[in-house]
Amino acid sequence: MRQASRPGYRIFYDINGWAFVSVALLLIGTFMVYPIIQSLWMSFHAGQGTMVRFIGLGNVERLTSDPMFLRALTNTFIFLVVQVPIMIVLALVLASCLNMPNLRFRGLLRTAIFLPCVTSLVAYSVLFKSMFSYDGLVNSVLLQLAIIDQPVPWLTDPFWARVVVIAAITWRWTGYNMIFYLAAMQNVDKSIYEAARIDGISATRRFLSITIPVLKPVILFTTVTSTIGTLQMFDEAMNITGGGPADSTLTLSLYIYNLSFKFVPNFGYAATVSYVIVVLVAILAFFQFYVAREKD
Amino acid sequence: MEVGGPGLPPEPGVLVFSMRQALATSKETKEHTMHFAKPTTAHAAASLALASFGLMTAAAVSAKEVTVWAWDPNFNIAIMKDAAARYTAKHPDATFKIVDMSKADLEQKLQTTLASGVTKSLPDIVLVEDYNAQKYLRSFPTSFEPMSGKVDYAGFAKYKVDLMTVNGKVYGLPFDSGVTGMYYRKDLLAKAGFSEKDMENITWDRYIEIGTKVMAVTGKKMLGIDPNDNGLIRVMMQSAGRWYFDKDGKLDIKGNPALKAAMEVQGKLFKSGIVKPVTNWAEYVGAVNKGDVASITTGVWITGAVKSEKSQAGLWAVAPTPSLNVPGAVHASNLGGSSWYVLSGGKEKAMAVDFLNEIFAKDTDFYQSILISRGAVGTLMSSRAGKAYSDADLFFGGAQVWLRFSDWLAKVPSVNYGMFTYEGDAAVSAQLPALNQGVPVDQLLDKIQAQLAAQIK
Repeated sequence: MRQASRPGYRIFYDINGWAFVSVALLLIGTFMVYPIIQSLWMSFHAGQGTMVRFIGLGNVERLTSDPMFLRALTNTFIFLVVQVPIMIVLALVLASCLNMPNLRFRGLLRTAIFLPCVTSLVAYSVLFKSMFSYDGLVNSVLLQLAIIDQPVPWLTDPFWARVVVIAAITWRWTGYNMIFYLAAMQNVDKSIYEAARIDGISATRRFLSITIPVLKPVILFTTVTSTIGTLQMFDEAMNITGGGPADSTLTLSLYIYNLSFKFVPNFGYAATVSYVIVVLVAILAFFQFYVAREKD
Repeated sequence: MEVGGPGLPPEPGVLVFSMRQALATSKETKEHTMHFAKPTTAHAAASLALASFGLMTAAAVSAKEVTVWAWDPNFNIAIMKDAAARYTAKHPDATFKIVDMSKADLEQKLQTTLASGVTKSLPDIVLVEDYNAQKYLRSFPTSFEPMSGKVDYAGFAKYKVDLMTVNGKVYGLPFDSGVTGMYYRKDLLAKAGFSEKDMENITWDRYIEIGTKVMAVTGKKMLGIDPNDNGLIRVMMQSAGRWYFDKDGKLDIKGNPALKAAMEVQGKLFKSGIVKPVTNWAEYVGAVNKGDVASITTGVWITGAVKSEKSQAGLWAVAPTPSLNVPGAVHASNLGGSSWYVLSGGKEKAMAVDFLNEIFAKDTDFYQSILISRGAVGTLMSSRAGKAYSDADLFFGGAQVWLRFSDWLAKVPSVNYGMFTYEGDAAVSAQLPALNQGVPVDQLLDKIQAQLAAQIK
């Protein structure tokens, strides 16, 4: 009797269990799995609009000889290599300043630095664009202070356009990363610092030898998310510079947009470029985890 | 990759193009719900109202509603509303739903909907920029309704009809023209010692000479250019009857004297220091309205924006587009312009075709009215015989500017825009910094050719 009922119960619970998760699975299947597979399938096609044909790996081959893709890739890496380190270091320094126990107006300062993160990406991009325009605020202030005698072509010169985009992302995201460091720092046992102080260790040394190693997992986490974020950067490039001048701020995501909506729609090739981002994210994340692994 | 709990912003920039959104599926879904939020509420409210008044339901069912998508509330939308009012006056059973959205939104929505194959949500009539016409007609064949045979195209400017013809079939209804002219400030030019006669039929080289003198005397720049926008290069190129592609749609970059000359002029313009760099449309127009620049050479549709600065009334004049120093170059060109297209999947396409044909292809009075109210120069050649075209414009010191523009319109060289105008623009833009550094144009043309060849595969 008992032995006979057991499989019955199990089936009952199995069915019940699957019934509970089925709705979620269905939704995930429809809105996650299906689009991913469909886009992979699409990346083997090329053509204009609905006039597509299967070309196998032709899109991948096209990537290698596409000057615009290569420029977008280079730009994305320039942003990555220049911006992420600046932002991480800045966030660490800010976090440790704001973590000082005798600092006044701590709450106010923390809010002020975190505040950019709650602004809309488009809104702040538009603001940066107007601030850095030829007759914009930045040029007028610099001219007034007699630091420059000719307006700087912030958005119309390839070099300065990159500077503006990097400045904008740094402004927007530093506070976000800082919050993680601040939270982690508050979890560090104060007695470690106390012991170090008694041993006569300087503040800089304490920061480098205690704070940084303790924060390593958090730093790794923020580096990975920032890397992914930079690889997928779209809003800033789209709204501040439109990818120009001369494609100097064209990012991979913006290129995907152009391929789908600005140029003759080639959704297959656009899907291929988006898989490039996926592969890059995977490789870089793996690399970062490998570098920061615990060495036993 | 999910980071941050509820309430925390997502990781930097992970916003639009994550993998699962690569095909814009979820983005589009979001946009659709956003865009349709209002109409849906409106429909719900309407059906409630209809349910309570049974009589009205019957009336609503028999009326045919033509839906139109367009951009620019002060120009296309306003003109379409005028046209719709004229049509409904004679056809009381027709109603119109004219939807205003930004140009970029409209193009995205149109492209994704056509690509998805689910055309139920598309309108009956859609406005398409001329540069995009071939792209849509060839990328989504069978989606647009051919109108040859139903509309008499002989009355329209030829270049306009050519760009909407695929395999001998004509698809759209030609609308506004982007015929170009040079608008300049008489007062500033006079200060530098140039009369109106000096500005007629000049070359670009002469234009730069004049501009240099204007800047030396008045301190004002001669023109504004957005380095991200190749409009002026395209204007110059078309004035010599050439384009990025030849008549057969083949790449025409290396050995294209018009493109070479146009790029050389653009390089000289920047080098001479008479250009004010601008970064968007508002600054481009703002430079004119604020009096920062002494001239602007662009499509006739700019007239409204120029005239919007009332304090400058009487100070402006219009002259023919400067010409390039290449054989066959004329003092007329085109920039932009758009046309109306009927979608094959539309419910009311028969009425949509009839409407476009009756108002936009025949009603010359209508063209007088939109010229006066909106400064829209249509491409129906017979409309220039109307009174509004010969009227003097006090803003331009009493000159018959509209007649001049319609003269130039007839002279615009017809070129094959092909499908890849924006790809061509991107390829040229990429070489502009090198151009300003003095790299020989022939080398740049090689690079442009290479990039464009890779892009149009």
